[in-house]
Amino acid sequence: MSQPHDHHEHGHGSRFIQHHYDDAQHQFDAGKLGIWLFLAQEVLFFSALFVAYILYRSHHPEIYAYAHHYLDVKFGAINTAVLIGSSLTAAWAVRCAQLGQRRGLILNLSVTLLCALTFLGIKYVEYSHKIHEGILFGSKFDPCVSSGGSPLVTKKNECHGTKSSVVWDATAGKATEGCLESAKIDLDPKLEGLQTRCTVSELSMTPGPDGKPALVPNGKTFEPCPLAAAHGEHGAAAGGEGGAHGAAPCYVLSFQPAICPAGPAALVKYGDHAVRRDVGIKVECEAAPEPTVGDPFADRTNEPALGSALISERPAPSKHELAEQFAAGPPPPNTNMFFSIYFAMTGLHGIHVLVGVIVFIWLLLRAIRGDFTPDYFGPIDYAALYWHIVDLIWIFLFPLLYLIH
Amino acid sequence: MATQQDASGKEPNFYEVKRGISSWLYTLDHKRIGLMYLFGIFAALLLGGAFALMVRIELFEPGKTIVGQDAYNQLFTLHGAVMVFLVIVPGIPAALGNMVMPIQLGAPDVAFPKLNMASFYLWCSGALLMLLSIARGAIDTGWTFYTPYSLGSATSVLPALMGVFLLGFSSIFTGLNFLVTVHKFRPQGMGWFQLPLNVWALYATAIVQVLATPVLGITVLLLFVENFMHIGIFDPQLGGDPVLFQHFFWFYSHPAVYIMIIPAMGVISELISTFSRKPVFGYRFIAYSSISLALLSFLVWGHHLFVSGQSRLATMVFSALTFTVGIPSAIKVFNWVATLYKGDIRLQTPMLYALSFVLLFTIGGLTGLFLGILAVDVHLHDTYFVVAHFHYVMMGSTLVAFLGGMHYWWPKIIGRMYPERLGQLCAAGVFFGFNLTFLPQFVMGARGMPRRYWDYDPEFKIFHQLSTVGAVVLGVSIFVQGIYFLWAAKNGARANDNPWGSSTLEWQAPTPPTLYNFTTPPELRELYNYDHFEERGELDWVYADPKNSDDAAEEPASSGH
Repeated sequence: MSQPHDHHEHGHGSRFIQHHYDDAQHQFDAGKLGIWLFLAQEVLFFSALFVAYILYRSHHPEIYAYAHHYLDVKFGAINTAVLIGSSLTAAWAVRCAQLGQRRGLILNLSVTLLCALTFLGIKYVEYSHKIHEGILFGSKFDPCVSSGGSPLVTKKNECHGTKSSVVWDATAGKATEGCLESAKIDLDPKLEGLQTRCTVSELSMTPGPDGKPALVPNGKTFEPCPLAAAHGEHGAAAGGEGGAHGAAPCYVLSFQPAICPAGPAALVKYGDHAVRRDVGIKVECEAAPEPTVGDPFADRTNEPALGSALISERPAPSKHELAEQFAAGPPPPNTNMFFSIYFAMTGLHGIHVLVGVIVFIWLLLRAIRGDFTPDYFGPIDYAALYWHIVDLIWIFLFPLLYLIH
Repeated sequence: MATQQDASGKEPNFYEVKRGISSWLYTLDHKRIGLMYLFGIFAALLLGGAFALMVRIELFEPGKTIVGQDAYNQLFTLHGAVMVFLVIVPGIPAALGNMVMPIQLGAPDVAFPKLNMASFYLWCSGALLMLLSIARGAIDTGWTFYTPYSLGSATSVLPALMGVFLLGFSSIFTGLNFLVTVHKFRPQGMGWFQLPLNVWALYATAIVQVLATPVLGITVLLLFVENFMHIGIFDPQLGGDPVLFQHFFWFYSHPAVYIMIIPAMGVISELISTFSRKPVFGYRFIAYSSISLALLSFLVWGHHLFVSGQSRLATMVFSALTFTVGIPSAIKVFNWVATLYKGDIRLQTPMLYALSFVLLFTIGGLTGLFLGILAVDVHLHDTYFVVAHFHYVMMGSTLVAFLGGMHYWWPKIIGRMYPERLGQLCAAGVFFGFNLTFLPQFVMGARGMPRRYWDYDPEFKIFHQLSTVGAVVLGVSIFVQGIYFLWAAKNGARANDNPWGSSTLEWQAPTPPTLYNFTTPPELRELYNYDHFEERGELDWVYADPKNSDDAAEEPASSGH
């Protein structure tokens, strides 16, 4: 084999051919094998997270069925389209480089770069919403929702406006009494007293984007609560079950699922974020009395009885009904695990996108400088392959995290 | 072919091409990188050895001897972490492999020299983070970082985890580099079955490095995030699964045992053939068994979790698969023994290590079968029996092969011989010291002495004391080697191009090699055929091919660095 010892005198190919390679083809082939091995390494790097996903989902399907409602399919779908599009332009860039079309190369690299930045931008919006709402991983999971859908309280006796899930009892003219899962809250040493009884004193809201109220699981539509009218937002009176005007449960637009086991209550589905922003709620709470008798969540020992009663009286719920219950009820224990997995997977993927952005900026600069020729386009090819695997991982992540049914 | 020749007609060797600190810090030359690895790894070996000696001295008497219980936890953790991640995993591939593998292929360098340099600096960063962990109140979780203890430990877990993460990527990039080098840099005419067995072994190792290490990477990354952000994936308090950590950890760390042992087997194959003056028996079987070991290594991690709450089916499957590992390992041992049979055996230092290896690896491998048996493992799990078993494999085999390889290739890379008599003495010291250290541990393990304990029942005292004495002999033998290698680099006898009369290509390169390893393209001869070598003196072999009588008469290259 030939071993040219002089650095820049090869007599073949581009000046970017390194000294220890026979020729441009040799360097390209070595690089290509190298990047494929690197991609194999990447697959294994992500594999542990996929295994963790499979394991936790098979052990706790209820968490996944419940928690994916917090994710916005729209954002995920747009990001999927953006990444697939950028994979196309990345492949196109390789073709342009092979054919020596410099303008096409620059154009395609720029579009790929823009797509990557768009992806990160959307991801930023998603993440910042979750951070704002306390929908985070592990111990940071603090979404400000009470099981039972009671008026919301946080550790600091307040709810930050947009975080609430409020069930309004139109008959009583106030928010339904709470059904906080006391055991859960008592775990937190920072909590200053257990809060159960809250009054909504101020509320403003707008309807959903289509102007219609949200759907409840049993298929009936509820009108917004009259409280809204009192604040001049809506004129609609409470409609509802049995047509008993004024005495039926009504809903307050909410983005957390809520359920109350006793008394008039409404189930509301998770809404979309744009609307949620327009809901402002001010809640005042009293310090908690001793857990009231008959509150199934206050006394943990009642739970099995409640569970068995439900089982005996009702036919086994269908899978669909189960999913609806999960979607509507209080968060199952360890819902944080879904977000641990979500943030680990999308975070690691996001870091890979960020690396892709840096690589494409570098390639774009080199392309503008005119480094790439039909004899030397390896880096474009390798980066495109890397970009395809980043794309591919997202194509798995999107259905696994967003499209759970 | 254009060469840069000086007045005497000799191309400068790789030390003379450039000089100065920066020529080393920025070097892309695989030999210089390998040599820097070698120094780093040897330094880490001495550090890890010092921890081991402190552990052994603490155990000389029951109760407190020199350190308290917490310091003891830190000592055995650091011994394990330093030895595994800094010494044995990179030892043979990154140091010896880097120095000789491209030359064995007749290649001018590895495929990606810059990546090679990046690997080295990742290794350095990982080593610095380990030192940082030691400085900030050394980690005490055991080198396995089991959750949930590693989540609650007050010691500095984070720098150690980040260090392991970086060391992992150093290993991945080295493996990737070697795979591409073997695929793309074989000279014309060198087919897969003309590769030296050392290259086969490094190739098999590289597969494991590239495919197993990323799982360690993500695992320690998750544990790192778990530790300071409480993400909950491994924390049972937050709904996570601590046993999942064990699965992930051993999915890497079992194959990592093969990252340690397979290259050692490659070195031993070279040594046994060369010093028996006989072709390797069953070349293809040794080559294939390296690959099959690499593949089987991915299927047996569950045997570390027999008592961790794995399902009964899983334990049985993992137990059965564990036994299959014995097959390729035994193939190698039988082939080495068959190579020795009727060989013209020369007991130079490298060969002493090779023979030690065969014996120690056999003991280490067979005791592994004990541990693979489910019922026996329940008794032996987490006892000194396990400690002795894996030291026979990791130290008695890998480190012994590493030392053998160092003595074997030292003359080629440095250009000077080490002191032979002292070398033989130290090899004997390593062998006897090692067995004295670890044979008693089998006995006390089988009698129920648990591992990682600071205190023990007086009935184990005699075994601990024998073990400690052995460890001191072992430590001294290795320390003396470090001294005489440094001494030999300046004062040793000048080495011939091919002092051992070996048949692989690196011995056709000048001693020390030039920047791109060869001044003339190497000639492909039949591998492991020693018929054409003539023995002149004890350490003076020449290739006596009538067609190449000029080559045969070539003077030993002068080094003079």
